[in-house]
Amino acid sequence: MELSPRWRKLAGDLRNARGRLSMMVLAMAVGMFGIAAILSAYTILTREIGRNYLGTNPASALIEVDQVTDELVDAVRHRPGIANAESGTSLWARVEVKPDEWMPLLLFVVKDFRAMKIGMVRPESGAYPPPEGSMLLERTGLPLVNGKFGDGIRVQTPNGPKRKIVISGLVHDPGLAPSWQEQTAYGYITLSTLALLGESGTLDTLKVTVSDPSPNVVAIERTVAGLAGWLRQQGYSVGEIRIPPPGKHPHETQMRAVLAMLILFSLMALVLSAVLTASTIGGMLAQQVRQIGIMKAIGARSSQIAGIYLALVVLMGGVAVVLGLPPGIAAGRGLARAIAELLNLTLYSEAVPGWVYLVQLIAGLLVPFLIALGPILRATRITVREAINDYGTSIRTFRSSRLDALLGKIRGMDRTLLLSIRNTFRRRGRLMLTLGLLSAAGAMFMTALNVRAAWERNLADAASDRRYDLEIRLNGPHPEEKVLAIVSSVPGVQKVESWDIDPAAANRHDGLEIARTYPDRGHGSFTLRSAPPGSRMIQLTMLGGRWLPPGDSDAVVLNHMALRIFPGVKVGDTIHISVQGRQTAFHVVGIAREIVTPAAAYTSPEGFHRALGRSGQTNAVRVVMKGHDEKTIGAVTREIERALERERISVKIDFSETRLDNALSGHIYILIFALILMSAIMAVVGVLGLASAMGTTVVERTREFGVMRAIGGRTGTVMRNVIGEGVFIGLMSWGIAIVLSLPLSAGVGRLVGTLAFYFPLPLVLSPAAMIIWLTVIFLGSTAASAYPASRASRLTVRETLAYT
Amino acid sequence: MTAKPLISMNRVFKNYETPSGSFAALRGIDLEVQEGEYVAVVGRSGSGKSTLINVLTGIDSPSSGEIHVASTAVHNLGEEELAKWRGKNVGVIFQFFQLLPTLTVAENVMLPMDFCNTFPPGERRPRAMALLEKMGIAEQADKLPSDLSGGQQQRAAIARALANDPPLLVADEPTGNLDSRTSEDVVRFFSSLVNEGKTVVMVTHERDMTRYFTRTVMLEDGAIVEETEAKAWS
Repeated sequence: MELSPRWRKLAGDLRNARGRLSMMVLAMAVGMFGIAAILSAYTILTREIGRNYLGTNPASALIEVDQVTDELVDAVRHRPGIANAESGTSLWARVEVKPDEWMPLLLFVVKDFRAMKIGMVRPESGAYPPPEGSMLLERTGLPLVNGKFGDGIRVQTPNGPKRKIVISGLVHDPGLAPSWQEQTAYGYITLSTLALLGESGTLDTLKVTVSDPSPNVVAIERTVAGLAGWLRQQGYSVGEIRIPPPGKHPHETQMRAVLAMLILFSLMALVLSAVLTASTIGGMLAQQVRQIGIMKAIGARSSQIAGIYLALVVLMGGVAVVLGLPPGIAAGRGLARAIAELLNLTLYSEAVPGWVYLVQLIAGLLVPFLIALGPILRATRITVREAINDYGTSIRTFRSSRLDALLGKIRGMDRTLLLSIRNTFRRRGRLMLTLGLLSAAGAMFMTALNVRAAWERNLADAASDRRYDLEIRLNGPHPEEKVLAIVSSVPGVQKVESWDIDPAAANRHDGLEIARTYPDRGHGSFTLRSAPPGSRMIQLTMLGGRWLPPGDSDAVVLNHMALRIFPGVKVGDTIHISVQGRQTAFHVVGIAREIVTPAAAYTSPEGFHRALGRSGQTNAVRVVMKGHDEKTIGAVTREIERALERERISVKIDFSETRLDNALSGHIYILIFALILMSAIMAVVGVLGLASAMGTTVVERTREFGVMRAIGGRTGTVMRNVIGEGVFIGLMSWGIAIVLSLPLSAGVGRLVGTLAFYFPLPLVLSPAAMIIWLTVIFLGSTAASAYPASRASRLTVRETLAYT
Repeated sequence: MTAKPLISMNRVFKNYETPSGSFAALRGIDLEVQEGEYVAVVGRSGSGKSTLINVLTGIDSPSSGEIHVASTAVHNLGEEELAKWRGKNVGVIFQFFQLLPTLTVAENVMLPMDFCNTFPPGERRPRAMALLEKMGIAEQADKLPSDLSGGQQQRAAIARALANDPPLLVADEPTGNLDSRTSEDVVRFFSSLVNEGKTVVMVTHERDMTRYFTRTVMLEDGAIVEETEAKAWS
């Protein structure tokens, strides 16, 4: 069937403006690519995180009791509200990663691997269950322990000797963050292996799931408190109870929030690319206003003409969807894989749900359609006389506004440059759109780098808050004087202090210690610490109140993370802390910011003694060394451990600044990468927008260029004029982008900081970001205007003056 | 008894607001044109010729007064109704031809039929070809306007104006961009159309071709200062 003339006109317009339209389609395709990538990653990850985590059948609660027998487990299974119960235990050990260099190892002891029904792990390779004398390792720990499958590695438990055991297999435990991220290895052993390592074969943790299919934390707490009361009645001593947020992976909230933020940014990119479409179509309409007038003069109605241009927009949107969607989905799968690795997830399926395709198809067609609708309707409603008599949709002329008058007064400048500057403001609507595109891209780019700088500043601040090189935690308390003497006698040690520590919980009326901690004992933990009076080993920023007064046994300083344990607590309030079954009241004298440290309450040694009933003993020391480089810290740490070992003092774990840095660096880079990816997408859209706008400008001013050439303007003059205008727009957008990046950086910093540290990141402006973006925008705007400029400069005078 | 005129303009005023104040382009025009007339509108630059043509075709609206073409009160029509009415009833021809540059000559001629749906799709191209044949440029049908000479483009524009077979043709200086020989061809062709029953109103400067016109209307400062029957000119 033959195409009717109006659609042939559309095809002709497409051919004629193929350069600008290609840029428009490309920009929209880039926008589609961004949203397709993020939305696919979001749908894959939110599905798979649930599948991974819930697939382990995570425990609703873990209850520490003195001993868990099979009979007890059986009895607990029949308690009201309890779906299932299992015994188990976990203990902190150490694994040798290099000769005499040890890393924390959290050992999970499983009574019967084959009967495991709660907090299950998935075997990946090797023997399952692990033979006696061997250990299954969580898969992400293998590179960290520098081990190989089948290798023997040295392990030390709190009460046992250093002993070599074989890595007999790898398992995947989706409930744990990757080992490299936490700088902790996770091992799984049988009871007999535990005995071989020198520990008693007692299981002291009761893992339970509740029968309510969709419980909330309050319901679980009620059920578990009832169970704990019953256990006490049966004569069991109930220790810490850990209730992780039900059904939620430790990092799920963060992942969803970050992905939601990226979706927001990609939507912005899509909307901006749609705005570019409107701008390009607007330019095309401005150029074709006379044709619109002629069509109306020969009988076309506005709706018929609007139909032609709206069809063009939908066609462009369709092509953009076809170009942007498949690579976007592929990139989304790649992003999902990268984030899955960060969260220690296995993607069982990378399928993207059908609604994602549908939504994007609709968004790709509808968003540009809706945005272009207004300008198209306005342009096609122009009267024939306006269209024929005035070349353009507006009857305003230069010098009709104050700005024009102001620009008209600029003197003493290169005339070509002056012309560029004045021309910039001729089409204000288009200028605003182009500036909007470029500024948004620049603001996002700078935000990404500002947030990165803020993150680094935050970590640097946290590092400067901690003015020690090493913290050693011991297996059980030892005489303080003896420990301090041993450590301080090691060459290279400048200062050592006792920082006794014990797990704590907010006191409850029933005396139970309930913590919101995951099985890894890290996420959500709370401790009470003894801070030596006058110590300079930590210098925290006080958010309220003051640091501990010397000798005050009632005073406590909470770090900001502890406010999650004691919500709404203010300086001056009294709180009740439960430690080892004892409840103690403390007076809150201060609240401090403490980055990258779990919730903690600091009290004086006297206060610690009051809470625990022990004094003159310590289970943790902090050490300042004479040298602070990684090599020195490593060497001195090894010497301290040897010295303690000689005195039969068993080290639980040690944390050096180096290890802490490694643990933290892994968390942020994927986010920064994603932000920079989004800003790159915006930058591409922005520069394409500028190129498209410059193309339209050149077309509109073709006659002017002809006049310039007729009166002696050379090729270079025309080139300089167009490029000058493009660069001027680019530079203006740079300034606006800096201003826009301030609230954006503050907002994103607040989100990221709150997610990662439960504290907003400071607002940091990265000079590098400004300079890089200035370079990008200068080169980008030069490149974007160079093609239209060279096209304009190649036109002959005859061509330009004959142009209609 | 006189027949009802095809065009009737009654006390038509047109004012434009400009930065330097109000400008009266038409001052109380009264004009009647009978069916089958060939009317030339003449006058100096700025006398209001084009404005007269524009308000007649509905391209512009009068500030006051009434314009009737056949039974249609043009001054009462909205933009959309005007477009529809114009497409079916008036063929408009411009000085600069105003062919759409991305369409071939034949497609340009088919476009009004497409917009007004006056002929079935299958008949549009044969009709366009017939009109181009009549204009003597059938062999140029599949070329783009830019490939044609000025005279050929104007013939194509006339063919387009005739596409929907309107009773009235209105031309604004159709010969202004043509050489004298081609100009005469165009004027003569309009004359032949008048002989076929069309009515033609044309703005022109071609005083030496008055023999082709049935009437000449002279404008000065927006008012008709002289109406001359053909006999008086010849």
